[in-house]
Amino acid sequence: MEEKVLEILEEYCEEALTYDGDNMMEEGIIDSFTVINIVSELEDAFDIEIDAKYVVAENFKNKEAILELVRCLVEEA
Amino acid sequence: MQFLSGGFVILWVITFALYYLLPSKHQWVVLAVASGLFYVLGTGGLPLGILFTALSSYACGTALSNSLSAQKEALAGCSDKEEKKAVKLAFEKRRKRLQILHFVLNLGILVCGKYMAVILPFLRAGGLLSPAGDALFSNIVMPLGISFYTLTAIGYVVDVGREQCEAQKNPLKLFLYLAWFPAVTQGPFHRYEKLKAEFEREHVFEYGRLASGVQRFVWGAFKKLVIADRMGIFVGNVFDGGRPQIPGGIYAAAVVFYMLQLYADFSGYMDMALGVSETLDIALPENFRRPYFSKSVAEFWRRWHITLGAWFKDYVMFSFIMSDVGRKLGKAAKKRWPNLGKHVTALVGTMLVWLFTGLWHGRTVSYLLWGVYYGVIMCLSLVLEQRYAVWKEKLHIREGRVWSLICMARTWLIVFLADILIRTGSLAQAGEVYQAIPTDFGIFAALGTLTDYGLSRYAFLLLLFSCALWLFVSVCEERGMDVRMRLAALPLPVRWGCYYGVALLLIITGIYGGSYDTAAFLYQSF
Repeated sequence: MEEKVLEILEEYCEEALTYDGDNMMEEGIIDSFTVINIVSELEDAFDIEIDAKYVVAENFKNKEAILELVRCLVEEA
Repeated sequence: MQFLSGGFVILWVITFALYYLLPSKHQWVVLAVASGLFYVLGTGGLPLGILFTALSSYACGTALSNSLSAQKEALAGCSDKEEKKAVKLAFEKRRKRLQILHFVLNLGILVCGKYMAVILPFLRAGGLLSPAGDALFSNIVMPLGISFYTLTAIGYVVDVGREQCEAQKNPLKLFLYLAWFPAVTQGPFHRYEKLKAEFEREHVFEYGRLASGVQRFVWGAFKKLVIADRMGIFVGNVFDGGRPQIPGGIYAAAVVFYMLQLYADFSGYMDMALGVSETLDIALPENFRRPYFSKSVAEFWRRWHITLGAWFKDYVMFSFIMSDVGRKLGKAAKKRWPNLGKHVTALVGTMLVWLFTGLWHGRTVSYLLWGVYYGVIMCLSLVLEQRYAVWKEKLHIREGRVWSLICMARTWLIVFLADILIRTGSLAQAGEVYQAIPTDFGIFAALGTLTDYGLSRYAFLLLLFSCALWLFVSVCEERGMDVRMRLAALPLPVRWGCYYGVALLLIITGIYGGSYDTAAFLYQSF
């Protein structure tokens, strides 16, 4: 799973892979349009539904947070 | 009730005194009563519009919260995936219906109030109005701050639905959130969760905070009365004076003045609102970050009316992109055009946001075109972003001071062209201005007649000095300096010299009406 998530991140926002802070959106590493594209790719790749309530800066603050979100949603599904 | 009125100052002082005298758990009550009084005294009648919005938002928020709790309980009792999906879908549908009802009721009032002048002729032409109905709708008075509190209330309901905040259990607290008196007329648009935390924490009097808030209020009044209202005289005489054959140079000067007038007026209001709020130890979000230093239009709109832009982004753009329609559109576009397709939902969302922004600001075709103009520019910059970087590299353009100035000038030009649309009285007049500036600039004729439009040579010099002071403060802030902190650290005579200087300039050179009242804020009409 991790490999696939990182693959998607690499396609849309390579900088996210090397970013080691905890606020990618505020720091301009990732913008909201990119987040939406990543959400759509993750939904297709893992057959999950990422509800609007999960698309917040906290869940996209770094690659670990994104991985954690996908992990939770896959388990929930 | 205007900020710059005796009534407001009395309300502010009494609120301030009671607020810090009462124990912290009752402080929010003082603010709620003050907000109610501000509203009633400002409108001279019962605040039925805002009460309806507060009560309907309270009821909707509570119902959404109950539905979310019931959904969690129901899901806990489900065993298989399909059953869970069906239960979730049923609850979501119910919540969606509730939200739609809330939007239709509240946006319906806003649209009726704002666009009745446009709708009425069509209703009359279609014979859909009785004489009594015609009389009723012709005399509709827009409730004070309706654009502000309606959008704020919708934001609250969406946040509850998205589980980004808990529903408010006390309707009076929700009323306070919507009617918070420094912000209710023009914003800034605050977020429920943040403002609620501000209202609920303990507030202790601090002299430094009071001084800082009053300084900000006075600085805002300076921008409004000395700069904006003085520039407004020139702008009004050029565009509304009905003079024939105005040279393009005068039109160009009037548009630049209008750009600065709008900025000084609106950011002046924000300084006053944030200053009043600061004295009461309630932090409001910043709404301006020196937009005319922006190097692109996108940046300009991230620095101008920041909170409205954020509202549209979060509640219109995001809702559209995350909706079934937005997602299906995105997937279909990506299949059809693998490269460009990933931008399609963002592009449609951007155009939607700008159409709404245009319509929100005004009800004429000019405002609609203004929205389309910015929407197209934003979409082009999104699509061409990568290509733009390649062109820059090929042309060996280096980032630096000169390039930054060129980019800033480009932003000014784009805003300049847009502001012609919204300031001129009609599309025909806008066309005349667009034509006159490049073909009949007449720089010498323009310079020779500058003083024919209501401002004397002395007034221009005063404006030059005031704008230089404003620019100096802005440059300091742009470089990261906290100007008020820096002022506070200056030696006493210098510090008080600065305070007296600005206060005297404000008192002596401010534009006041016959009874020392002030002109209404420009954004109040949006």
